[in-house]
Amino acid sequence: MYKLLEVKDLKKYYETKNGLLHAVDGVSFSIEEGKTLGVVGESGCGKSTLGRLVIRLIDATDGKIIFDGKDITNVKSKGSLRKEMQIIFQDPFSSLNPRMSVSQIIEEPLKIHKLYYNKAELRSKVRELMDTVGLACRLEDFYPHELDGGRRQRIGIARALALNPRFIVCDEPVSALDVSIQAQILNLMMDLQEERCFTYMFISHDLSVVKHISDEIMVMYLGLVVEKCKADELFEHTLHPYSKALLSVIPEAAIKKKKQKKLIQGEITSPINPKPGCRFAARCSYAGDICDKAAPELKEVTPDHYVSCHFVNEINSL
Amino acid sequence: MNDKNNPLLSVRNLTIHYITDDGLVKAVNDISFDLEKGKTLGLVGETGAGKTTAAFGIMNLVPDPPGKIISGEILINGKDILKLKKNESKKYRGKVASMILQDPMTALNPIITVGEQIAEVCRLHDKLSKADAYIKAAQMLELVGIPSDRIDEYPHQFSGGMKQRVVIAIALACNPQLLIADEPTTALDVTIQAQVLSLIGDLIKKYETSMILITHDLGVVTEICDKVAIMYAGQIVETGDLEAVYEHTKHPYTKGLFGSLPSLSAKAHRLNPIYGSMPDPTNLPNGCAFHPRCPNKMPACENRAPTNTELESGHFVRCLLYE
Amino acid sequence: MAKKKGQVRQIWRRLKKNRLSMFGLITLIIIVLAAIFADFIAPYPYDLQNYSVAKQFPSLEHPFGTDNYGRDIFSRVIYGTRVSLQIGFISLTAGALIGTIFGTVSGYFGGRTDTVIMRFTDILMSIPKVVLAIAIASTLGPGLVNAMIAVAISSIPNFARVARASTLTVRDQEYIEAARAIGAGNFRIIFRHILPNILAPIIVQATLGVGISIILAASLSFLGLGVEPPTPEWGAMLSAARTFIRDEWYMVLFPGLAIMLTVLALNLLGDGLRDALDPKLKT
Repeated sequence: MYKLLEVKDLKKYYETKNGLLHAVDGVSFSIEEGKTLGVVGESGCGKSTLGRLVIRLIDATDGKIIFDGKDITNVKSKGSLRKEMQIIFQDPFSSLNPRMSVSQIIEEPLKIHKLYYNKAELRSKVRELMDTVGLACRLEDFYPHELDGGRRQRIGIARALALNPRFIVCDEPVSALDVSIQAQILNLMMDLQEERCFTYMFISHDLSVVKHISDEIMVMYLGLVVEKCKADELFEHTLHPYSKALLSVIPEAAIKKKKQKKLIQGEITSPINPKPGCRFAARCSYAGDICDKAAPELKEVTPDHYVSCHFVNEINSL
Repeated sequence: MNDKNNPLLSVRNLTIHYITDDGLVKAVNDISFDLEKGKTLGLVGETGAGKTTAAFGIMNLVPDPPGKIISGEILINGKDILKLKKNESKKYRGKVASMILQDPMTALNPIITVGEQIAEVCRLHDKLSKADAYIKAAQMLELVGIPSDRIDEYPHQFSGGMKQRVVIAIALACNPQLLIADEPTTALDVTIQAQVLSLIGDLIKKYETSMILITHDLGVVTEICDKVAIMYAGQIVETGDLEAVYEHTKHPYTKGLFGSLPSLSAKAHRLNPIYGSMPDPTNLPNGCAFHPRCPNKMPACENRAPTNTELESGHFVRCLLYE
Repeated sequence: MAKKKGQVRQIWRRLKKNRLSMFGLITLIIIVLAAIFADFIAPYPYDLQNYSVAKQFPSLEHPFGTDNYGRDIFSRVIYGTRVSLQIGFISLTAGALIGTIFGTVSGYFGGRTDTVIMRFTDILMSIPKVVLAIAIASTLGPGLVNAMIAVAISSIPNFARVARASTLTVRDQEYIEAARAIGAGNFRIIFRHILPNILAPIIVQATLGVGISIILAASLSFLGLGVEPPTPEWGAMLSAARTFIRDEWYMVLFPGLAIMLTVLALNLLGDGLRDALDPKLKT
């Protein structure tokens, strides 16, 4: 398969009053065209920053982004990039300008990139987009606050689709929605992918949603990838202690099988001036001396299954 | 719901409306349920289902105006708390029933130390002296897993999960008989959510507190609840023991909720969402409020509102399919 | 476009509910009408001197009395509305425009641009408004236009502050990031996405500011730095009449009342607008 996006050792540091914040600290991955990479992690793990870095909404501190064979890490004119890469935001309330109507929001990208010849064509394109995402045409003059969360998120999707991109970063697109609506949006996104061969980077804190939509999953902790593999593999053979804990604490809506829970102690540590060594060590029940001294590298443990843990073999008796 | 050896809380035909400029918002429509001592009820529903309004009703905290309790009784140990006088009502809150709110960031006063905030409740309700209340506050902190030497710190020095622990300490400080937790873990990360849920679970078991857990997450319910009530458009559409509702789901809405959830174990090609979206609470559909979205709609559903039907002991459904 | 009207209608509906601000609005409309139709309302020309009726107590013939030159105070107050409103509105619009642009640019770009613009407004702000206006007006010399320039400049910092503060909150909204993601440039983001969303506090500030500007203009005229006689301006009228305040108090009372009423009306309306324009308030 064709690797549409390739990211190498991407880093983003922020200067803060208390020191250097390592938001994303050397992340590498690639996504094949038409596939979905799920990125999971808790708040502060750098997943949203990563999504914005990849589509050049913010500039990277270091590393390389290769899209469609071209190095776009330092491309100055982002106009053509915008047509290829889009983003769907988490919050359907704050991601839509409250002073613009539905059609104004959806037509804006078309206007900016002058992708129409006359008013009539613009109008018909907007209608087509609304139809694609399942918004009734009568809603075109409504304002976002008059619509519910699900419809608002559809507007956000229509705006992202307007430029007909090939790659879409989905930053928690269903987290703010009710379950019944969440399922509608997930189905819509999967249908669109099937029809148009979109490539998704799907960011979420919800493992069950990520599992449902992704082909490959990357688990992040404090700016680093701790585990990366095929979606099913992650759930069948979870190798990293953090992923294990994450998986075991998801409340499942079923009462048959109560899993053995692995409550991890403590809370996420600060990403500012992180100590050397494994970042998860402070909360890890398997941590040994080496974990405080050297940071583990992301290694291929079994075919196509990458884990960064010193004791991965011992823990899983591989 | 039959009389099972004197429930601690019994809500009867509670109806709460908001009178706004846009019309009458029928937030809670005729809900009834019982809760026994030491049991936990999960109140599940989507945005706008009326869960929080119901909770405020039980706390006798419905903001008036615009809110109005139209009818119903809320009996706690047989006493109707809606008939309490204002000062009695204050005593009831905190002492008999207390509440944990969703957002720990705003539930705490940023300029008062956490210790004082806990101590304040003890002084108010248990009439403890200042020194005793301080000692009690330290004990409460230890109880919720915060070292008591952090008692003089301010809320901003705590992380989200820690703040929610402080909120729990405040809610449990006076050893209430009923605890209402309104989405207590929604603002937290999953690993922290698991910690907080297990903490709440342990504490209510220890003190035999009854709890109403309000949530939109069907998964969270299975962690600590004994019973569950599914709300839709201000009504409880299905209620019963956890097993009855989860294993023998009857109401089409409840089925729809389960169908909407991506499963961790099975790989589904597509989810089965509920069609359409929540009805406008100022303009609820005639008949059954769910009928425009219902896959099992019958012609009668448009005209006739279903009543509560008991299928087996304690398992109630509000749907014409079962009448 | 049909929906655009809907939004305005919603604001109007909310405003209508506020009785005090409706009182303010109606008063203001009457005042504006008085200014427009001054020629028809005023019984005498504003500069007609008639020493035979000088310093007359209010009567049917001269409802507000006459001044020391025998001019009809009622006519002068009515004509004065024109001048005062003109100064108030024009100078304020100019100040608001410049201030808003400064503030928005400052808040949006941040960094060095922000520092330079904000230190400049800090300097303007650190000088009391009246003193600043006096300094500018006395440098430029007396006159209507110069008074307006003075008032306009002294109202810039307020608007810059309000615009910057609002821009800072709007700037971090996701829809700004969304606009950037679809390739919108800075110009478009500022004019299409930021300005419409910070308009509400600016309109409120402007409504309240007109009152302040009128008072400021009146103060300048009172000090002899504003409008020159015989042009009737409320502040100038107050100034001229102040020597007679002991015996002919009506000469001070009516221009004073006119200022008060106008400013009060504007403030009431401004308060109402603030509530009506707040999008967070549900309809």
